Amino acid sequence: MLPDQLRSKLREMIAGAESPREKAIDVMYAIQELQGWMNDEAMVEAAQLLAMSPLELEELATFYDYIYRSPVGKFVIKVCDSTVCWLEGQLRLTDYISSRLGIGLGQTSADGLFTLLPVCCIGYCDRAPAMVINKRVYGNLTPEKIDRILAQLAQKADFSGSE
Amino acid sequence: MPRLIIDEREIEVPEGTKVIDAAEMLGIVIPRFCYHEALGSVGACRMCAVKFIQGPFKGVQMSCMIEAQDGMVVSTTDQEAVEFRKRVIELLMKNHPLDCPVCDEGGQCLLQDETISGGHAMRRFPGPKRTYRDQYLGPFIKHEMNRCIHCYRCSRFYQEFAGYRDLGPMQIGDRLYFGRFSDGCLESPFSGNLVDICPTGVYTDKTARFKLRRWDLQRAPGLCNQCSLGCNTVANAHYRGVMRMEARFNRDVNGYFLCDAGRFGFSYANGDPGLWRRPLFPKIAGEVAGAADALSAARKALDDIAAKNGPGAVAVVGSQRNSLETQSMMNLVCETRGWLGPVFFFDPAMRLKTLSAVHELDGEIAVSMKQIENADFILVVGADPLNEAPMSAMAIRQAARKKAPVVTIDPRPVSLPCDSQHFAVLPKDIESYLGALILKAMGKDAASLGSESENFRAYLGSQLENFNPPESLDQCARLLAASSKPVIICGTDVTMETTPAFAADCVRLLNLCEKQAGLFNLLPGAGSFGAGLLSRTEVPTFADLVEYIENGRVRGLVFAESDPFHCYPDRARLESALSKLDFFLALDYFPSETARRASVFYPASTIFETGATFLNQEGRAQFASPVHCGGEPIRPGEHPPRVYSGLVPGGDHLPAWKALASIAGMEETCPDIAPEKFVPPSIPGFEALGYPVDGQRPALAKSGFKTQWGLNTFDKSQAPLTFELLMVEWIFGTSEFSAWSDSLAPAVLPPLMSISAKDAVRLGLADKDKVSVELAGGELEIVVSVSDRTAESVLIVPRHNGLEWQKSHDFRVFVSSEKIRKI
Ligand code: SF4
Ligand code: SF4
Ligand code: FES
Repeated sequence: MLPDQLRSKLREMIAGAESPREKAIDVMYAIQELQGWMNDEAMVEAAQLLAMSPLELEELATFYDYIYRSPVGKFVIKVCDSTVCWLEGQLRLTDYISSRLGIGLGQTSADGLFTLLPVCCIGYCDRAPAMVINKRVYGNLTPEKIDRILAQLAQKADFSGSE
Repeated sequence: MPRLIIDEREIEVPEGTKVIDAAEMLGIVIPRFCYHEALGSVGACRMCAVKFIQGPFKGVQMSCMIEAQDGMVVSTTDQEAVEFRKRVIELLMKNHPLDCPVCDEGGQCLLQDETISGGHAMRRFPGPKRTYRDQYLGPFIKHEMNRCIHCYRCSRFYQEFAGYRDLGPMQIGDRLYFGRFSDGCLESPFSGNLVDICPTGVYTDKTARFKLRRWDLQRAPGLCNQCSLGCNTVANAHYRGVMRMEARFNRDVNGYFLCDAGRFGFSYANGDPGLWRRPLFPKIAGEVAGAADALSAARKALDDIAAKNGPGAVAVVGSQRNSLETQSMMNLVCETRGWLGPVFFFDPAMRLKTLSAVHELDGEIAVSMKQIENADFILVVGADPLNEAPMSAMAIRQAARKKAPVVTIDPRPVSLPCDSQHFAVLPKDIESYLGALILKAMGKDAASLGSESENFRAYLGSQLENFNPPESLDQCARLLAASSKPVIICGTDVTMETTPAFAADCVRLLNLCEKQAGLFNLLPGAGSFGAGLLSRTEVPTFADLVEYIENGRVRGLVFAESDPFHCYPDRARLESALSKLDFFLALDYFPSETARRASVFYPASTIFETGATFLNQEGRAQFASPVHCGGEPIRPGEHPPRVYSGLVPGGDHLPAWKALASIAGMEETCPDIAPEKFVPPSIPGFEALGYPVDGQRPALAKSGFKTQWGLNTFDKSQAPLTFELLMVEWIFGTSEFSAWSDSLAPAVLPPLMSISAKDAVRLGLADKDKVSVELAGGELEIVVSVSDRTAESVLIVPRHNGLEWQKSHDFRVFVSSEKIRKI
């Protein structure tokens, strides 16, 4: 069950839209903000609020890289795997992050801090190779830069302060 | 009309034809997965590549995406196109589990055909295949996702075409998955079409699972006889059992599809080994007897009664499921022998409604389902399409997809797989709403309409005198006024006796106002149109017949494919009436109570065994070819009966009409079926057609406006604080086919009584409360479903096979509020 406060916030958000379903992504974001990912119950409740069938919301949720249908770490690292980043050594970087954190693509580190995912082009080709962590983009990545970023993040305990 | 050349052959095709279809007209079937005529083109699979050599397009292009144009020269065999298709099929097969030997699609699989025809045989890709977890999708459909090639046909059919929202594509890339949010029954009553439409074995027919291979089947063009629409099927039989039903394309009727009731409701024909067996052997006084003995015993008994009490002491009773052959023979027998009947109707009101629906429908206003799809305004009056004639709801949806407004006027909480504006009104008010809507939308003064419609307009005016329509009706009237091809869909189940004729004249009135309006009636059964056509006015209904039996006037009965225990609303009275008879005969394929109690029972053949003609609700005569000879089905692990005879055990049945001819001593006069021979000459149209007739509408005469309006006998009064008990049909669970087909049982929902939200408050009831309704024949216990789409002052109860609705004791019943108790 979603907390009442969130639910009324979502209702308000949806009421402002021309048709409810156009708020689908925002609603799922808002829920994720609170609980990190979209579990089945949240999907069903959100679908109800949006006047969609759970399947219709699932179609969107599973199409879209930024909605998580399984638990993720506090920081979700998405390494761009599209052409330019790939030319600039994305594979090596991904391997580097993997070995640093001891996780493969799609996995979450044992301390629950990091999840590693590939993502397609994030429009940072001029600063390739690039990655996104939560809502922040990092470009011109090198192993050293990655070390710094990861160390910094590991120090932050608070999920919402990760911006 | 564009002319083009495909593979060196020229063809002229209608504007807008896709190249893939143009080729098909030449007999060239271009490989395809995603393209389907009913679903349109999306260009997703790339399998239909051909080479464009001359014309506005050049090179290898998708033939499903390009419309035929003048001057095009196309090659389907060009090396480049062939190579292209070969690569595509190789890629599509990358993940396929190659499990054809255990796949029910094997042998009728587009993917198999096109892999072979594409020339792909050796797998080159060494990587792993993606695999999925399959879902439980309910009793009809088996899900095996590993076989998917991502053509999107299923989701396009399920969501876009049929309008249901619980099956579709999820995930992306290599994980793309077609299924539901979670395991569970598919919500669409059209789910069976997934089996036909998926080009691979992802969705297969669960009722036929592991029972057959396509090449072992006996196949024949058939008909669905479960509702009045007469959808076209391919019946498949094997080992003396009907195994599976497929949709058969008919542009005017069902298009490419069927509903699930029609597709899966055939197991009655096999005698399910589990719950009940189809009665395959004749019986005299409950004991198995030879066919000849049974027939002659019946003949003797009926002759005796006729000799002793006069021929009028024998009556013949049919039902709404009789074929035209049976109806015609009953007519002929009654005429020749002077027996009473044939009685086609149980409810006198239903007879009136059916007769007027049949006789008021003329060739100028009758429309087909295809024409519904092209309508630009749809008005559903006193009809619940999804429950009474499911495929018509699909047709309505197609019109709605093209932006036709849909308006429903009905006491039931009618729901359709598309947006609609619902007016929840009592049966007696349906005409007022409809009339007001038409008058408002006519936009023409009465003077210019001519005298032909004068009578009807006067009646309309008198009906509307004290009627204040809600404002929302104005909005609908404006939309109707703006339409050019409106269609009225009129039901017969809950409407007043006058409504079908009223709707017909409304359509005529619209046509006087420069519209091309059409009428589409829904009738109670597959045989209803024929029953209406052949009904003679001097013949009683079954309700009258019961009286005749009670007072001794009728002493012997013949039930031809008819079960009063299913149709007559007073069980106790029926039982006592039947016990008064000297003799009654049942000719049927259902193991009905009537069949069990009959003095002589004769197992009539089904539509699958001897074929039959039906006139659907628009008067279209269609013939179902027999598919097998029937008989004791051979079941796994069972040996066929060890009987030494040249006949198939249990397979020597005559159709009801032939058995009847023999019992009446008339086999000589009627050597073979041919309706044109025995459809009465008063009904024009049949002689010219020969037999079998297929697809034509011979029975529609020009009738024009009805002249005698205002002889309305319908009692519109209703005491305050009373509720009319409206007995209605459900897609699953109310029909006889549903009662005797195991295959449909898992789809039947428990009965619910629908009441309006306001009445619920008045009665102190909430949704899901269980109530007892005191009826003349005892207490009816049922769970309540509260809806704000249900009319006030009605209780809507399905004629559910699991509900003793026969306690109602009459066809029209009112219940006062103190008789409804929460329990
Ligand atoms: S399940 Fe069948 S119809 Fe649906 S996308 Fe896959 S192959 Fe096509
Ligand atoms: S709509 Fe009627 S005729 Fe058509 S398949 Fe369904 S039950 Fe049969
Ligand atoms: S059939 Fe043309 S692209 Fe699929």
